[in-house]
Amino acid sequence: MKIEGNHKIPAPRDVVWRGLLDPAVLARAVPGCEKLEAQPDGSYRAEMSVGIAAVKGKYHGRIEILDPVPPERYRMKVEGQGTGGFVKGEGVLTLAEQGGETVVSYSGEAQVGGIIANVGQRLLQGAARQIVSRFFEAFAREIAAHAPTAAPGPPVEV
Amino acid sequence: MSTKLLGERIKRKEDPRLIQGRAHYVDDLKLDGMLYMSFVRSVYAYARIKSIDAAAAKSLPGVLEVITGADIKDQLGLIPCAAGMEGLKIPKHYCLAVDTVRYVGEPVVAIVAKDRYTARDAVDKVEITYDPLTPVTDPESALGKDSPRVHEEFSDNLAFVAKLEAGDWKALEADSTLKIVKQRLINQRLAPASIETRGVIASYSLGEETLTVWSSTQIPHLLKTQLAILTRTDESRVRVIAPEVGGAFGSKLNVYAEEGVACYASHRLGKPVKWIEGRRENLLGTIHGRDQINDLELYVKPDGKVVGLKCNIIADLGAYHQLLTPAIPTLTALMIVGCYNIPNVWVETKGVFTNKMATDAYRGAGRPEATYIIERGMDLVARELNMDPVDVRMKNFPEPKDFPLALPTGVTYDTANYQKTLKKVLKLAHYPTLRKEQERLRKKGKYLGIGLSTYVEICAMGPSSRMPAGGWEFGMVRVEPTGKVTVYSGTSPHGQGEETSFAQITAEGLGIPFDDVTVYHGDTSVVQHGIGTFGSRTTAVGGTAVFRATERIRKKMARLAAHRLGVKPGDLEFRDGKVETSDGSKSMAFGDVVGEAYYARQLPPGVEPGLTEQYVFEPANYTFPFGAHVAVTEVDAETGEIALRNYYAVDDCGRILNPLLVDGQIHGGLAQGIGQALWEELVYDENGQVVTGSLMDYALPKAHQFPWFDTQTTETRTPVNPLGVKGVGEAGTIGSTPAIVNSVVDALQHLGVRHIDMPLKPEKIWKILKTVDGRQ
Repeated sequence: MKIEGNHKIPAPRDVVWRGLLDPAVLARAVPGCEKLEAQPDGSYRAEMSVGIAAVKGKYHGRIEILDPVPPERYRMKVEGQGTGGFVKGEGVLTLAEQGGETVVSYSGEAQVGGIIANVGQRLLQGAARQIVSRFFEAFAREIAAHAPTAAPGPPVEV
Repeated sequence: MSTKLLGERIKRKEDPRLIQGRAHYVDDLKLDGMLYMSFVRSVYAYARIKSIDAAAAKSLPGVLEVITGADIKDQLGLIPCAAGMEGLKIPKHYCLAVDTVRYVGEPVVAIVAKDRYTARDAVDKVEITYDPLTPVTDPESALGKDSPRVHEEFSDNLAFVAKLEAGDWKALEADSTLKIVKQRLINQRLAPASIETRGVIASYSLGEETLTVWSSTQIPHLLKTQLAILTRTDESRVRVIAPEVGGAFGSKLNVYAEEGVACYASHRLGKPVKWIEGRRENLLGTIHGRDQINDLELYVKPDGKVVGLKCNIIADLGAYHQLLTPAIPTLTALMIVGCYNIPNVWVETKGVFTNKMATDAYRGAGRPEATYIIERGMDLVARELNMDPVDVRMKNFPEPKDFPLALPTGVTYDTANYQKTLKKVLKLAHYPTLRKEQERLRKKGKYLGIGLSTYVEICAMGPSSRMPAGGWEFGMVRVEPTGKVTVYSGTSPHGQGEETSFAQITAEGLGIPFDDVTVYHGDTSVVQHGIGTFGSRTTAVGGTAVFRATERIRKKMARLAAHRLGVKPGDLEFRDGKVETSDGSKSMAFGDVVGEAYYARQLPPGVEPGLTEQYVFEPANYTFPFGAHVAVTEVDAETGEIALRNYYAVDDCGRILNPLLVDGQIHGGLAQGIGQALWEELVYDENGQVVTGSLMDYALPKAHQFPWFDTQTTETRTPVNPLGVKGVGEAGTIGSTPAIVNSVVDALQHLGVRHIDMPLKPEKIWKILKTVDGRQ
């Protein structure tokens, strides 16, 4: 399944960049996220509860940020499994400045297996799009709320 | 004569208990101390199992046993494949995956618990870590040199190649006057989806060392032998019972992993173990049907005579062989010429491994594919030559006098009158009027389609020489001391109604009331031998065994009565509950003759006491029922939706013992065949995930989607068995798919549409309509 799109965040690019790498911000913005912890190897451990169609379940997995080019782009790898299935995905996020705001574009491939694939495939594309939009809306709110502390600063090392 | 029963429309003995919900299926049976089993199944199409962590599942209160592939690897045998073909690759097929999973839904871990809820909950607590591999999902690219392999033990994914060549192809290919009509046809994967899913109870008695298995199966006797081998139990100590079975359609003509693991678990725990399949498990892990790609070429004379047929068949077998997996597509080649004596035939069938569930027998089993190929082909020929599809068929039918007809495919058709069924269905459908209506509607921009299918199929399987595990059948008749009669059959009907038709055979044979006969089947300790119910063989082969056993009873009873009455046995008739001379002057009540056999005080010399006779019938050939169908469809030019307006079917299944049972089989068969043509499709995505894993997504037809079926019959008896019956269980499914597709293509023909692959979903038709409209 292909996932593609873009969202405009009303904040400067490096603020958005830092937000997208901040586990605390992400944990609050990712729908259904129950835990997101940075691991010593640079990856994140996540626990999420997701409901697609009639299939609701808890998933745990790993998120890896690869090849970061601050504050322009990074590659993200997600692997999770849970009740009756798995989710795997890989994609690229690019950040572009546009009149003081930031356009985040994403493009990737996701694969699901098990019960979600068996009974929820029809709804998957729509559900994924909805999860992503809800994330960016929440993320934009998070960035706006923390705007004072998110003043421009030096690029973050990852 | 009050005892004429054969040919009568008699209500089914089975129905009162079924309709009132008083029958017992596997899940209705509850045994003392019974445990419940559930399975953790692979969510990957192809992956190495890195680790299995079952600690959390084991610690759940009520969980008694967690079983993995490592546990059973050396304890249970392999799941059997009975197809004996030259050069066939047979992969090791364990009851639980060992190291590698090869399809989504493959059983990996079994859990046994005190109740089914605990067993089900424990499934979610098992953590399996997989190392995913690239799955093989497209059977065509699976044959490529650089394709990943489903089984590393083999050099490629080609399970077998079977070739059939007959005639003079050199001469044919040199003949420049012939037209070659080509078409690729896809016969999609289907799910048998019986209403009752699979289910098993295994009960191993540690004291008596006996294994009793209740399974929702079509083949209790074959299953008994195979489970004895699989579980390494002395076969004399194994008993298999098929209780009421709620539909099977071929999907229960098998030996399944879950049956083996249930036996293993019961033996280990010394308690009965029950497993009932869920619907999602049924769609993932019960055999699928069809799934072939057919590249067809027909060589045709300018007058419409088809002289050559060439077909490349790619059959997607899935990852492992079930009982008959590789044999099914070879039946397609066997029946590929249909009702036409095409002298030159060339068929190459390639069976291919993919990371999917196994395909196997599903109602029709290889013959619906054959009929679809040839019947779509005949319509394409008609179109190419601008002929009426009726004329092309009439042109190519052999005459009734040509039978028995030996065909280049290696089978000999017994009897037929294809002209008669076709003429009858055309009359029933008012064919010329339909064509005029079509013309009229086209002018108004409305698309009416008229589709034809004239099929022949192969039934009454079959001579043992051509069957993987014997083609005979066992029948036994016992007249009880009270005069009631018990019939035992080695077949295992599950909805077909042979408790009724077999009682008709025996009651008429003995001249006694229909209600005095009770038919038993499906229990290996009650019925000594048997093969089972499949391949439309139950009445033709099993019924004949009962017929012959009944004749033996008559012979013995006539001898006993003759001895008492002082007449010759040959002078006696069985009628109205009496054994008497034809003029009725000397007569004995049926019960009194039975008394002679049991009191045994004045038996003729050499006659044993008792009244039990058996017969094992070995047919000399298959039978070949046939028929002609017409489907009338209306295609909505705006939405692409198809309305099936009328369905006309004239079927010939030989002699009809009970028209009610024939109607039932035809109606059900039509529903399944039309289901394939219009809606059903079991879909795997490119990662090998089943995306039609529920009945929300797998479109089984519902009653309101069908019109009233106008069905009639003709009766062309077969000399293959003394009853003259041919078989009817699969006919409806076999005849109907091409009728529907031919009808829809016919509706859109004037727009330049030549072929559409099944299922003919509205979105597909809508897209086609958009393209053809664009061209205009």
